This record gives sequence, structure tokens and C-alpha cells, in this order.
Amino acid sequence: MSASLAAPLPRRGTGEALAGWMLTAPAAIAYGLMLLLPTLATIALAFTDYELGAPAFAWIGLENFGELLSDRGFAIALRNTILYVGIVAPLSVLGGLGLALLIESGTRGRSFFRAVFFLPVVSLPVAMAAAWQYLLHPTIGPLNAALRGIGIDGPAWLSSSDTVLISLAAIGIWENMGFNLVLFLAGLTAIPRELYAAAEVDGAAGGWERFRLVTWPLLGPTTLFVVTITMTRAVRVFDSVAVLTQGGPNKASQVLLYAMYEEGFTYFRLGYSAAITLVFLAIVLALVWLQTKVLEKRVHYA
Amino acid sequence: MLTHSPLSRRVALSAPAAMLFAPRVLRAQSPVEITVHYAQPFIYKEAYDALLAAFTRREPNIKVNYVTTPNYEEGAQLILRQAATNQLPDLSYQGFNRLRVFAERGIAQDLMPLLKAEAADPARIGYTPNLLALAHFGGFQSGLAFAASNPVTYYNADLVRRAGGDPENFPRDWNGVLELAGKIDRLGDGVEGMWFTWSGDDWMFSSLLFGHGGRMLTEDERDVGFAGPEGLGALRLLDRMVKEGGMPNLSAAAARQAFTAGKLGMIFQTTALVRGMVAGAGNNFTLRTTGMPVIDADKGRLPTGGAAGMLTAKDPAKRDAAWKFLRFSTGAEGQALMVKNTGYLPCNQIAIDDPQYLGEFYRENPLFMAAVKQIPVSIPWYAFPGTNSVRVTQTMVDNMARIVEQRATPEEVQRDMAAEVRRLLPRRS
Repeated sequence: MSASLAAPLPRRGTGEALAGWMLTAPAAIAYGLMLLLPTLATIALAFTDYELGAPAFAWIGLENFGELLSDRGFAIALRNTILYVGIVAPLSVLGGLGLALLIESGTRGRSFFRAVFFLPVVSLPVAMAAAWQYLLHPTIGPLNAALRGIGIDGPAWLSSSDTVLISLAAIGIWENMGFNLVLFLAGLTAIPRELYAAAEVDGAAGGWERFRLVTWPLLGPTTLFVVTITMTRAVRVFDSVAVLTQGGPNKASQVLLYAMYEEGFTYFRLGYSAAITLVFLAIVLALVWLQTKVLEKRVHYA
Repeated sequence: MLTHSPLSRRVALSAPAAMLFAPRVLRAQSPVEITVHYAQPFIYKEAYDALLAAFTRREPNIKVNYVTTPNYEEGAQLILRQAATNQLPDLSYQGFNRLRVFAERGIAQDLMPLLKAEAADPARIGYTPNLLALAHFGGFQSGLAFAASNPVTYYNADLVRRAGGDPENFPRDWNGVLELAGKIDRLGDGVEGMWFTWSGDDWMFSSLLFGHGGRMLTEDERDVGFAGPEGLGALRLLDRMVKEGGMPNLSAAAARQAFTAGKLGMIFQTTALVRGMVAGAGNNFTLRTTGMPVIDADKGRLPTGGAAGMLTAKDPAKRDAAWKFLRFSTGAEGQALMVKNTGYLPCNQIAIDDPQYLGEFYRENPLFMAAVKQIPVSIPWYAFPGTNSVRVTQTMVDNMARIVEQRATPEEVQRDMAAEVRRLLPRRS
């Protein structure tokens, strides 16, 4: 009896496994074709001297990476990208949090403000960049016109190497803040009301005390997610650079992805471009790893 | 650069023979379909549509399908990508400065035999040596010039008058131009004096360099040609534009906006933008154009921008059809259609000389005349040899930014630019 029962079990197991494989097949195939293969191809390409349109290529080992080390343009791109992330990530996370708290505590116009700050996220980056180009125009732009009104001679925001990275970072903050705001709002509504009541009973009467003792710890998982996603989004900055500055003047706004694009598609050096892509990939993976492994330990999950 | 080989006897004999057989070939022709690529539809679409309509009337058996890319850069990518996968279009129109890449990578074909088969002397059908030189790269006739442009001066006649200048007698040299620009700059009220299109690529810099009679590389292409007095003169002019002309630090797009808004006295850029500037200026102010300020009246030259068609078809029937389209588009009739619909300069001597094609158009559109008058001093846009061809131009632009931002002297920039460009030239034994 027990033997006859046990016999079909393995077969059902394989059948289940087969069904499982079949059900995941579409996603697995799509993943393989769209993500895994191109990534592997990029890794392979990074070790060649392939140029777009060239009849042949050669394996050159680590030569591309050696060139990266001595490439002034790449060093500037890397430095600018780190600076950009260093400005955009903290400010857009804190800004998103601050706005979310303000909207949450407000009584009127909640959905209005939510929509207003979320607009940049759903708008087309290239079209928005064109609007920014006009706003920040040194002579006819509204910003400098307003500054002239109060007697200040505004800088050439996007064409001076002193201000170009800061201007791009401001646009980046504007783009990311609304997204963070919505995530924080979702996190805030998930916090049970009773905890605030309990905190009040325990003597935490002030708003700051309540934030420090209840809101901030319970927002931990949301904050972790927001920080991760903001940093990866900031590392990926490309649209605004491509439309507004093309990395100039004199590489003052050159960033990793634009350098990759320029090498691969303007100078046609696909091998070298693939090497830059690998550096970019390593940075993104390192960020994700750092945040899940190191920060997760300190996050309080309610 | 261009060598005029004396007509060989075989070619001379084959030309009439080819004409003799031509009608029979035409009659036997069966319908054929070709793919033609061009870039910048926002500038060219009307011209290519007009060409297609006229061409179809003439060659009903050839069906032409257009493929477009938003700009020349993506157009070059498309062709290089498709060359790797063997999916090339049959004919492609590319920017002059990218043609060398295709010629050196074996993608462009030599068009001289096809031209010679039609006319022993190509000048007879409008392809003069000067015009052929525009698309002569990699040592052979890699393309036929389709649309040409040269840099011109655009100025705001109202601002010139307010600053005490005479719009009818615009200064002819840089000393006069910079003085006038300085006066306009001092008008205040957010008005800037001038802007020179130094960013983007090396094209406008080469107008200053060629204007001094200089060259980008030496004759044998082994060393830079701008390390001498001509190159220094060009960079010093750029420096003076900032110091004397009040040139602000603007991007090209921002400068064009400021100009069409009436806040910029003069702007130096390609004649291809005349149409856009006229539309942008509207009734804000009186827009005028004139030639570039003359630097050296004898040796001075100007670079030619624009596009050329290059043949990529391999199948004989398609190649034949694509050649017919290329010939039509660069012939007198096709060129007249192109000029009327874009504002570029014609690349066929017959269309330039014979008033029946464009005489009326230029009488009605005098703003286009500034560039036409500069045709005699225009030479090809220089394209650098080797795989770093395009990167060299970016290196030069980056260095010029240091002058515009006043962070380096022309002497320092010339030294660095020469050193950096030398490193990017192909190494030869």
C-alpha cells in the first residue's frame, strides 16, 4: 500500500517541475534574450578592439581597461558622475521625505500637491530638458531675468563650467523628488495610527519626537528602497546631458553614460565603449549589494 | 589634393559606346526597388519628396523607398551597423566630414567610372573639379556632393543701427566687426554683441584657420597644420571675440534663441540655417546676412558643409537604379529642387550658372545670396584620417572652450591642442 502510494510521487514531482519550467519559460527566455545575452556580449566585446563597421576585430585582453586608467576624459566622467550622485541622491531623498511629511500633515489639497510634484516623473525627459534650456537661458531665460530684476547678474547656468554640473544636478533633483515623494507617502500611510497614540501616552508630545521615535524607524524599509533606487537612477543620468550640454564645456559635464555613448556611437569604438559599460555595471551592482547587505542589517522592519 | 588624370583612351572610346547602347538597356529594364537613406528629415524632407515625385515621373520603373535618421551621426551609425550585417541601403546621403570613414572602411564605392561613362569630362554635366573635390575622400570619388553650405554672418540691422553702425555697409574685416560688436554689447538691457559657433564641431574653427590660409594637417597628413602662425591667428581671433566683441558663454541653441529674440547683435553660423532664422526672427527685427569677415583676401578660404550621396548597392540592377537617382538628385534639375526646398547651396555648376534653374529664387530670397557669393573661396571640409577622425574634432572643441571661458591664453591652447591631436593621428612607420 505504502509502496504503491510512494511510486507515483517522484513522477508527480518531475511533472510539477516540468510544469514549473514551462510556466517560467516565457519569462526565462525573455530574460535570457533581452538581458543575459546582451550583457554577456558586452562583456565579451569589452576585451576586443571592435569598431563599428570594421571588417574584423582582435582580442586585446585588458588593453581597454588599461586605457581607461590613463584616459583623462574617463576620469573626469567618473568624477562628475560621483559628484552628481553625491548631490542628487541625498537632496532628492530628503526633499521627497520633507514634502511627503508636509503633504501628509496638511489637511487640504493633498492630491493636488501629490500630482504637482509627481508631474516631472511622468513627463518626457527630453521635452523637459528643452523647457529647462529656456528657463536657464543666460540672456532671455526667466531665471536670469528675475535675478537681473534684483540686481544680480546671473551666470550662464548650462554653458559655464563652474555651474553646469550644479544646474544639471538641480534638474536631476527636480526629476527624482516627485518619485521619492510618492514612495514616502505610501510608506507613511502604512504606519499604524495607534503607534502615534501610544507614543503620545508615553510622553512623546512634540512633532520632532514623534518623527524620531515612530515615523523614521518605521519608514526604514521605504527609505532603503528609495535610497537604492535614487542612487541607481542618478548614476544613469544621460538624457539631460545629451540634450543640454553634450558633456561640455571642456568635459565639465561629462558623465559615465554619455562618455559610453560618445565612445561607442560617435567615435564608433564599441570595444572601448563596452569596457565603460562594464565599469558602469560594476558600480550599479556594487551599490545594490552594499545597500542590501550592509544597510539591511540596520533597518527595522515593523 | 584632387588629381586631374588625363582622359584615358579607353574611357574616351567607351563613352560614346555606352550612349549607343543606353536606349536598349533602358527598354529592357524591369521594375526595380531601391532603398535610399538620408539624415535630418526636418531640414530635407520637402526636398527629397519633391525629388522623388520628379524622379518617378522620369523613371516609372524604379521604386524608391526612403529610410531616414534624425541626424548625420545616427545616419553614420546606421550604415556602419548595416555594413556589418549586410543590410545596407542602396544609396546613402552622409555629412561631408563622415564620408572619409566610409571610404577608409571600404563601404563607399568609386563613382568616377560611372561619371566617366556618362560624360568623358564630368564638368560638362555640371560636376566641376571643385564640386567633385567636396566628396573626394580616401583617395577616390567616394560620393557626389548633394547639398553644400558655408559659414555666413547674420546680423540684426536694428541693433547695428542703434549702436551707430550702418546696416547697409557692414564691416568687411574682423577689426571692424569686433568694434561694432563691442558697441552693440555696450547697449545694455541684456543685449549681447556677437556669437561665433565655435562649439559642436571643428567646422567654424576651420573657417578662421582657412581664412588665414592655414590647414588642419600638413600636406602629407603626418603632422598638425595649425601649430603655426595661422592657427595662432585663428585662436587669437576667438580670444578677441570674447574680449572685444563681448561674446557671451552660450550654447549654440541658446545663442540662436537669443539672436531670434533680438538680444544678440550678430551670429556667425552656416547658411543652412537661413530658413530657420527667418522664421524665428519673424517681425522682431530686420534680419540681414552677409559674407564672413575677410581675414586674408588672397589666401583666405572657407570650409564647405553639407551632404553627399554615396553608392552602397552591390546588386547590379539596384546599383544601376541607385546611380540614376543619385545622378538625378545631383543634376541641375534635382539641385534646383533641393535649393528651393532647403536653402543649401547647389552642387551642380549648371544649376549655379544657368539662371533658368535658380535665378528667380535668388532674386526673391536675397538672404541666401551671402553664401552663393562665397562659393569661389570655398574648399572641402577637412576630415581627419584614421579611426580617431571624429574624436579629433571634439578635442579641438574642448580646447576652444578654455579660450571662450578665458581660462587659457591662445598660445597655451594652441600648444595643448596640437599635442592632443598629434596623439590621435594614425601612427605610421
